[in-house]
Amino acid sequence: MTRFERSVWRRAWFHLAALCVAFVFAAPAFWVIMASLRPPGAPPSSAFDWLPESFEWSNYLRLFDLLPLERYLLNSMIVAALAVPLTVIVASWAGFAIAQLPEGMRNALIVCAIIVRMTPITALWLPRFLVLNELRLIDTYAALLTPVWMGSSPLFVLIFYWSFRRVPTEVIESARLDGLGALSVWSRIAMPLARPATGAVSVLTFVQYWSDFINPLLYLKSESRYTLPVGLRILQQMDITNWSLLMAGATIMTAPIIVLFIVAQRAFWAEEQGWSARRLGMKDER
Amino acid sequence: MHYQTRYRLSLYLLLLPFVTGIVVLVIIPAGLSFALGFTAYDGLSPPVWRGLQNYRQLMSDDLFWRAVVNSLTFLALTVPLRTLITLGLALLLHRSRRGVRLYRAAVYLPTVVPGVAYALIWLWILNPVYGPLNLILAIFSLPATAWLVDPRTALPALAFAALFQIGEGFVVLIAGLRHIPEEYYDAAAIDGAGRLATFRHVTLPLIMPWLLLIIIRDMIASAQNTFTPALIMTGGGPYYATLFLPLLTYQTAFDRFRFGEGAAMTATLFAGVGVLIVLVWRMLGGWGYDDAV
Repeated sequence: MTRFERSVWRRAWFHLAALCVAFVFAAPAFWVIMASLRPPGAPPSSAFDWLPESFEWSNYLRLFDLLPLERYLLNSMIVAALAVPLTVIVASWAGFAIAQLPEGMRNALIVCAIIVRMTPITALWLPRFLVLNELRLIDTYAALLTPVWMGSSPLFVLIFYWSFRRVPTEVIESARLDGLGALSVWSRIAMPLARPATGAVSVLTFVQYWSDFINPLLYLKSESRYTLPVGLRILQQMDITNWSLLMAGATIMTAPIIVLFIVAQRAFWAEEQGWSARRLGMKDER
Repeated sequence: MHYQTRYRLSLYLLLLPFVTGIVVLVIIPAGLSFALGFTAYDGLSPPVWRGLQNYRQLMSDDLFWRAVVNSLTFLALTVPLRTLITLGLALLLHRSRRGVRLYRAAVYLPTVVPGVAYALIWLWILNPVYGPLNLILAIFSLPATAWLVDPRTALPALAFAALFQIGEGFVVLIAGLRHIPEEYYDAAAIDGAGRLATFRHVTLPLIMPWLLLIIIRDMIASAQNTFTPALIMTGGGPYYATLFLPLLTYQTAFDRFRFGEGAAMTATLFAGVGVLIVLVWRMLGGWGYDDAV
């Protein structure tokens, strides 16, 4: 193959370097889980150790006593469960239309999407608050879900656009000659061919709403509506020194995302490289 | 013909939610924010026109300048380091070989951790007494540092924590590197180019557009992603050492209800990032080359 791979030594060096890198990036995750299992209240160890003296799985249950954590979990689930299908619909409709429109129009829309993607979100906190306040949407889930109106992120629209571009024109033309309208072409021809894009957008949308801290912080008031990230913030304010419980909270918050990525991994890597090859592919927090 | 028009019309209908969403959620708020910057507004009584008064006040506000300097320092520390780390890791892990997927997944791992959880985890890692970082330093008998408690190290510590969430740029660069045809490397080898020369004259120019994209994207992200870590880990302290513009904007607008001043700060942040992007673009010479992707 290439020069780089010719010798066994080079391969050994590669694995050594890559293992060091992987260790630096992944080891803290292991520490966090171990720290979440330390007995709470016990004096923290003053020397570095890999495993706790005893595994206190009850830390996770104690979190539910301290906080209405099941409520926060449910709220986060509700928001994410509503956001994913709505985002897929809006983003795929827009992506489908962009793919079918004449070239001038299409390029204008793509440039517009990229510019919107580059807008600092900080610039929108305040005026969005004022608009939501006018619409009496402060302290509702709707306030958290407003971004679905624009497909959650212009990136998702572009992902669908790139995916639909790969559908051969003849397939769509013949469907149209059969008398199908745009909505039917979208649902019967385009969407079934864009399953990987739908999967990837669903995963990214879930992550976006599940991790969202700023919107609930700004737009929610009643504690019964809080989502998990705000709950974690409350846990921190309750007792900042109780590290085992804080790390347990962080683990609960992160675990669903890790599971989701492992499940969707294959599709995700292949797809993401596809889009990023077209120069975009970064996380968004809109 | 009639059918054609109807089809086109229904395409526009499918586009409608997205376009109206952009207008209502981005364009109108951005305009509103800009306009409010010229007013005094507390959210209760109607806004009062103040002209450039807000901006003049900002210019003579020490706290605002502190936040500007902090934000710029954070940017200057994180963007070059993050870019170098991303590039290095992408170069190391871009070829397909055994185990590479696992290594890439490990690099990507910190990126998917939600912001609040990430901040809490780093708050623990950087704890001066029982955080793992100081405990590990103790193994090598290095002196313990107070990290977030010491005004001199608080900002660098936050910047250090930001170095590990580089997954998106990493994926983009891997894609960029995989786009370079193998023949280019073969040609360079025939010309007798060494590893360094190949990197300098083949790899680097060809991935420049991707690199520039992640630098620009990183500048925007670094300018605003300081909010969650600063709020959770330091609250802007100690002694304003980690007070960044987004946190100051949040406190001004949502704690003290000075929406006009908050809007003026936002506009300044916006303009500042814009200027920086133009500078970087000029410095690196645009897209470098025009590829037809």
